[in-house]
Formats: sequence, C-alpha cells, structure tokens
Amino acid sequence: MKIHPSILILLLFVASGPWLTSCASSASRKQAAPASSRSVGEKKSDGKSVKATDDLDEYTAASIPDPLQPLNRVTFWINDGLYTVLLRPISKGYEFVVPEPVRTGVHNVFENVRFPVRLVNNTLQGNFKRAGQETGKFLVNTVVGVGGFGRPSDHIPALADVPDADMGQTFAKWGIPHGAYLVLPVLGPSSLRDTVGMAGDYGLNPVNWVTIVYGGYTWTIAIPSANSLRTTHRQLGVYDAAIKSALDRYLAMRTAYAQYRAEAASR
Amino acid sequence: MNFRLLLIPALLLLLGGTLCASTAEVEKRLQTAVNEVLAIAEKSSSPSALAESLRPVLQKSLSFSAMTRRAVGPGWRQFTDDQQKKATQFFTTLIIRSYSSKFTPGEYPAITYKAASTPAPGRVEVPTTVLYQGSRYNVTYRLEESEDWRVTDVVIEGVSLIANYRTQFDAAFKSGGSESVINALSQSVTNPK
Repeated sequence: MKIHPSILILLLFVASGPWLTSCASSASRKQAAPASSRSVGEKKSDGKSVKATDDLDEYTAASIPDPLQPLNRVTFWINDGLYTVLLRPISKGYEFVVPEPVRTGVHNVFENVRFPVRLVNNTLQGNFKRAGQETGKFLVNTVVGVGGFGRPSDHIPALADVPDADMGQTFAKWGIPHGAYLVLPVLGPSSLRDTVGMAGDYGLNPVNWVTIVYGGYTWTIAIPSANSLRTTHRQLGVYDAAIKSALDRYLAMRTAYAQYRAEAASR
Repeated sequence: MNFRLLLIPALLLLLGGTLCASTAEVEKRLQTAVNEVLAIAEKSSSPSALAESLRPVLQKSLSFSAMTRRAVGPGWRQFTDDQQKKATQFFTTLIIRSYSSKFTPGEYPAITYKAASTPAPGRVEVPTTVLYQGSRYNVTYRLEESEDWRVTDVVIEGVSLIANYRTQFDAAFKSGGSESVINALSQSVTNPK
C-alpha cells in the first residue's frame, strides 16, 4: 500500500504530539498536578467548574459558601484571642519542656493509633489499596517503630506517602458539598459537612474510646488531653502560617481551609 | 518510500529531548535557588535579618511582578502604572517577610524533588516533599518563562499562595477599588501582624 507523503507527515506529527507537549510522563503529571492547576478549566470538588479566561483569572480559588460570615468573624476573633492568651503559652510551654524528638515521637504514636479513622474512611471511599497500605503502615510502625513512636514506614516506598483520610473527605468524595463555612469555638475553621465528619472521626479514634468507655474516671482525661496538646501545638503552627502577612486574616484562613479541603478531596 | 521522511520522526524526537532537558534544567535551577536560600537561612540570626539577606536571592528567583498581577486579578487592569508599581513593591516586601518567617533557626527542611511537569507551554511545575519539624508537606513550585524561568506561585498542601491573596485583594478591590488594595497592602507592610 502506498501512503501519500503528506498523510505520513501528518501521522508522524500526531504520533509525536505527546512528546512535544509533555516532557514529564503522564504518571508524573498526574502526581504533580497541584491545586493551583486545578483552577485551569478543571472541576472543583463541589462540582463547580472554574475556567480560565486569561492569566489574570486563572487563580480563582476553591471556596465555601459563607452565609454565617458575621457570626463566623466573631467566633474567629474570640478564638484568635483565646489562642494568644491561653493556647499559645501552653503550646510554648510544651515546646520548652518536651524536646523535639519526643514531641515527634508522641505525635507519631497518636497518629498511629488513629489508624481506624484512615482505614474506615479509605474503605468507605472504595479505596481498598490505600486501606491495605494503611494496614501495612500500622503494622510496621507498631511492631518495628515500637508502638508507633518511630515511623519506619517512611523508609518503605510503598508506604511512605499515603494521603490522610477523614470522614469530611469521604463525604466530599460521595459528592456531598460543604454546605456552609463554620468557625467552631476553639477548634477553628470547618464546614457543616466537615463538622459532621469530625464527629464521626471522633468516634473512630481509639484515643477517645477510653473516655467513652471509662468516662467516670478522672485519669481518662489524661490521654485525650495529651492528644489535644500535641495537635494544638501543630495546629497553631499551621494557623500562624496561614494568617501571617494576611490583609484580612479571616479571609486568608477561610480560603486556605477551602483550598486545603478541596485538595484533600481530590487525592 | 522517500527516506528523507524518516528524518522527521528523528527530528521530532530530538526536539522532544531538548524540551525535556529544558524542564530538567528549570528544576535544577529551582534546586540551586532553594539551596541558596537554605544556606542563607542557616547563617541568619533573626527573621528580620533573614528577610534582608534573602531579598536579592528571592528577587532573582521569583517573579514578583507576575505574582502581584495574578494576586490582584482582573482588577489589575484598572490600576494606573504608578499604582501597579506601588502594589508590586508592597507585595514583594510582604512575600519576602512571610517567606522568611517560615524558618525556625536550627531546624532545616529535608526536600525531595519529584519529576517536573509542563501543564502548559512556558510553564513548569515542580512537586516536592518537604520534611520539616517532624511533619511531611507536599509543596509545588510553579515556574513561568517570562523574563527568565522564575517562580510565580508556591502551593503548600493544595493551598496556593497567590490564590489565597487573590480572595483578600478581591474583597479590598470590591470595597474601594485600586486605592483600597494599595491601602490594605500598605497597612499590612507597615503594621506586620
């Protein structure tokens, strides 16, 4: 069969198209796509599409409806004061008394114990591969990492980079939208959907089972308190980073939360 | 069959290879800039001293004009030349200050660079994993070829620095136009929180 040269050139050009337009492999592209590139004509987790019209429009961020803004702003400023007056000094004290390697170890232990939250949510999302990876991580860190104090799973490529899973994310994957943005007292930014999810995760976290089962005894407060201390220390760091150098701290926090959750839902 | 036609795929493959090399080159350039920043951070005594030492390196590696334009968004077209200049100056200071405050003396991040991608011609995204203070973060650098290959956005755990400022600038612009944006920026620069 004789092929006309112009057709052959066209076929060759089409065949080499992917070579010319993408240097990185499709696998790396998929892995690399950040939230920011989602804004260029992709769909957000809540189903609303964001389309780029020119280079000035493409940075439209994921957002959450905020009909309760006046109330949320009041709660935000009360929380901000509470963090400054009470939680930040406690967190500083924790940082001063407990050396960094121990803080990391304590964090690892509580994160390891939180395994059922990730296992159940990965399963509910139908992501059985990740559920399996989480189980592997839990076993390796519990046995080799001495009760989860160390994270030897970080050195095993198949277990090193498993994304976190929670119930708010599960709801998002099921197509349930945020509803409305909520600033919760003390806990900070959330949404109607994520608050319901948080309640579910609370029940799945073994750290809270002690209080639920032995609620009458004072000693049961110790474990959840230690957990709160380590999460507060870390979350204050995230909070400070999000509002640092902001023009409007409330909006900065809300946008950061919306983007963070959209990214979690896309993983 | 004309054998000259066989030269075409060879040339196309060669061109593809050149483009790949340039993506790798961009990534390499980013790594050099990040290493330079870390070396300066290691020697710095305070966040304010660090901000001043980092300014020349960041001005060389980041496109502050593109970052400001994108952060302001479509309203940018209504800024006068003088307002655009002012906004860029203020935003530059804000970004350098914010970036410098991320470093805690004595604690340095371990960065793993992953394969870069090209979401559009003239754009490269370099995903990295940063291990810092016991936590692991996904950080993606977005670079563009304008004057040179420069960083135009940093995305940490899905949170884009520019998109985050865009919401705040939008609110200021809606309330009082370009002057309101300049005032908000000026206030943020003169009264750091």
